[in-house]
Amino acid sequence: MALSKEIYAAFQDVVGEENICDDPVIMPSYHSTEHAAVILPGNTAEVQAIVRLCNKYKLKMRAVCTGWTGMFPPGIVYLDLRRMNRIIEINEKNMYAVVEPYVITAQLQAELMKRGLHMNVKGAGANCAAMLRGHGHLDQTTSGDDRNHLAIEWVTPEGNIVKSGSLGSSDEWFSGDGPGPSLRAILTSAVPPGVTPGVFTKAALKIYHWPGPKQFPVQGVSPDYSLSEIPKNMMARYYSFPSVEKMWQAEIRLGENEIAFELMGFNVAMVAANIAKNNEEEEVLFKKLSQEVQGPGFFVILAGNSAADFEYKKMALEQIVKDAGGKSLKSIEDPRTEGIIMCQCVRISASIRETFRPGGAFSSIPVMGQRDLTIRWAVGAGKAKMPLIEKGLIVDDGGGFFGWGVEQGHLGKTEIFCKFDPQNPEAKAAVEAWSKEQSARAFNERYFAVLMGPVDQMGPGLSNFHLWWKKIQQAIDPNGVSPEAGALV
Amino acid sequence: MGLEQYKGDMEMCCRCSACKFIPLQKVAGFQFANVCPSISRFNFHSYSGGGRVNIGAAMLKDGFKYSDKLLHIVYNCQVCGACGVSCNYAMDMEVTEPIQQFRIKCVEDGKTSPALDKVIAGLRQQGSMVPVAGKRGDWASGLNLKNAAREKVDVLYHVGCLTSYDKNMQKLARATAKILQKAGVNFGIAGDAETCCGGRAYQMGYKEDFLNQAKKNMAMIKEAGVKTVVTACADGYQAFKVLYDQYGLKGNLEVLHISECIDSLVQSGKLKLSRKVDLAVTYHDPCRLGRLGEPWIHWEGKKKPGDRFVFDPPKIYRRGSHGVYEPPRNVLKSIPGLKFGEMTRIKEYSWCCGAGGGVSDSNPGFAGWTAQERLEEARSTGAEAIVTACPWCERTFNEAVQGSGSNLKVYDIVELVEQAIQ
Repeated sequence: MALSKEIYAAFQDVVGEENICDDPVIMPSYHSTEHAAVILPGNTAEVQAIVRLCNKYKLKMRAVCTGWTGMFPPGIVYLDLRRMNRIIEINEKNMYAVVEPYVITAQLQAELMKRGLHMNVKGAGANCAAMLRGHGHLDQTTSGDDRNHLAIEWVTPEGNIVKSGSLGSSDEWFSGDGPGPSLRAILTSAVPPGVTPGVFTKAALKIYHWPGPKQFPVQGVSPDYSLSEIPKNMMARYYSFPSVEKMWQAEIRLGENEIAFELMGFNVAMVAANIAKNNEEEEVLFKKLSQEVQGPGFFVILAGNSAADFEYKKMALEQIVKDAGGKSLKSIEDPRTEGIIMCQCVRISASIRETFRPGGAFSSIPVMGQRDLTIRWAVGAGKAKMPLIEKGLIVDDGGGFFGWGVEQGHLGKTEIFCKFDPQNPEAKAAVEAWSKEQSARAFNERYFAVLMGPVDQMGPGLSNFHLWWKKIQQAIDPNGVSPEAGALV
Repeated sequence: MGLEQYKGDMEMCCRCSACKFIPLQKVAGFQFANVCPSISRFNFHSYSGGGRVNIGAAMLKDGFKYSDKLLHIVYNCQVCGACGVSCNYAMDMEVTEPIQQFRIKCVEDGKTSPALDKVIAGLRQQGSMVPVAGKRGDWASGLNLKNAAREKVDVLYHVGCLTSYDKNMQKLARATAKILQKAGVNFGIAGDAETCCGGRAYQMGYKEDFLNQAKKNMAMIKEAGVKTVVTACADGYQAFKVLYDQYGLKGNLEVLHISECIDSLVQSGKLKLSRKVDLAVTYHDPCRLGRLGEPWIHWEGKKKPGDRFVFDPPKIYRRGSHGVYEPPRNVLKSIPGLKFGEMTRIKEYSWCCGAGGGVSDSNPGFAGWTAQERLEEARSTGAEAIVTACPWCERTFNEAVQGSGSNLKVYDIVELVEQAIQ
């Protein structure tokens, strides 16, 4: 669905000849979708002008950051935000950072670590946009989802620039809720379509204290990296437990005592993926580690503010693990393994190993909620994976799931996925069926609602939220320019 | 061989964008996090390693549809291999090889770059990738070097096109010869019998021209009875060491880069670096000496049926782990008085100088832009000079220095070693 010469020229006038393309040859690299054009805006004013043109010509648009995933209807105007890649501000005193959409997490995190600060890193990895909304390995101490977003600069679907929170009444980014318009429910909504219509052009993110080194002392040559030494007052361990209940009790107590910098409920397959440098090694290691663990477990990183603080945290950890019958995985205690997995799990630099490396694709059901309930559901979803594993349709992870406490266990995140070969239609169909069944089970058995499911089925059970959302959407996007827009992909 | 054999690899791309950046745990700040010059300059995802394999996979499936934009994407890539290294920290898939094969396919289909056609025409007529002035061995006049084509020598010093013919680069050939003489190595040059290694023709996609050159060189080497070849050019090194092996032409020939040779001579006491060189330097890893200088791994196998992308027999990927990284550093650290500091992007994730893949011919502006980025990184270390180990890097950096008015000095490693032994 090509743009007319007139419309193409109008967009070209905004961004320049070099930053717009509608040649079909580039589309395979843009999610294999026939977009009307791909446009690279360089700043907020250009985004605004593009959105206004979309309204003028009744064109649908969608803005994307690094663009790891996404499903796009054909014929849209695709805004690749790659040129908007500046760190606007790191405010150490008020503990926030302001970034444009294409600053990747690895860049911002490295700048923060130099300053003794840190941030939430999404499980998708440090290769993704720093302003991405979501969850990850560091939720225990750096929260997650929209709770890290402060003031936001937003180009609405009509092309207006809205500055939320404190930015709405001053030049300050310290708050997302005021003084000034909050709009939190709209801007950071988790309801379908799951992302906010329009384009986020700048966002302030909460930042946190980092007791670790300014830079991890990584040595060696890729992929054989290790740390030359374990950073002072830091430790990484994996503990397995006799039962899911025991694991969860230990997780709760770790949160109550606020001692773990990171608590990531890896299953053994994920531990193996993090350590192994290739697929073959991973398969062997998974089998080996499966024999070494006594049951489900989690990975912990301790980071002390001082030697005394570290000692206290270590003692408390040991006691909690002991009380729950936990057992440390010896493979992780090897300093060479401990060091690199610590670095990977702070910098979130190996998520791709956990997800895409084995087969090329994965399908996930991520949920937020009360951990004891979501774990119970996940155990069932894991069992439901076993027939697929036995048929060789998905990668053998022992039916594993994973999860962690958020904000020291105040909230919880649970997730389960199937890794498979997307070129195998039988595997793809089986995984889709599994996903549908387990999402429906979650809702029907009243564990929780998977909001990625069909809204016409979920909505009536949840106060018809989808109808309200549709009304809001119509109000802020009268021309239907971005019905499925995603600023934070 | 060909693009088809990488179908499965290309389909594995998960569009994670890791190919755009240095390995993530090595990112040390906002600056110098990018690793791919092409996506950094042209911004559309199609210019990244991932974007290129996405396009390759689609065209294998749906047919090759050439356009000006596609050719711009294809020929504005240094094929420097950095994308592959970053991808392969986490993924098991080929990245650089399918990008190279895509370019070869373009040339086979007659979809070439006019600028590169011109260079290749010169190669076909005169056996050189640079304009020819005089004879190949003229630079050696007065040095009393052996002619390996006529006399028995242990080592053949393959000089290469740029060093042989470019008046500004011939100093590197003379320095290399002096170093080998000083260490008492029984070496010779081939003089007029030397011809282009073919490596740069291969990078540009002209596989047949590369093979012609490779066969000529190996015939000459066989005739001369030489067992060891030394190059002071990273492109030449990769050609003899990796590409000739990839195409089954190398045999048992030992291939050494001059930095490996000097390192070994210094360590064995045959070469003494005794004169002080007061200079603060940083070292630029040439792509084809570093990550792309890794030995070729011969492998044939089939994907195992099932869920994982694994093969029988298991495939060992070339992830850039075994390039020549330490020898040049050892040499620099052996020079008295020299102060050595590292840049952010080094070794397997080094930023390209800009000249690779024929870009210095097809788009000199882009090559210069790429070099400028590297010079800025070098300056950020506080170095007075950037040292490299390849004449193509040195020439590109020198042009960039002249263009920017910078006072950063540019050296090849042999120039500093020559100073240290005089």
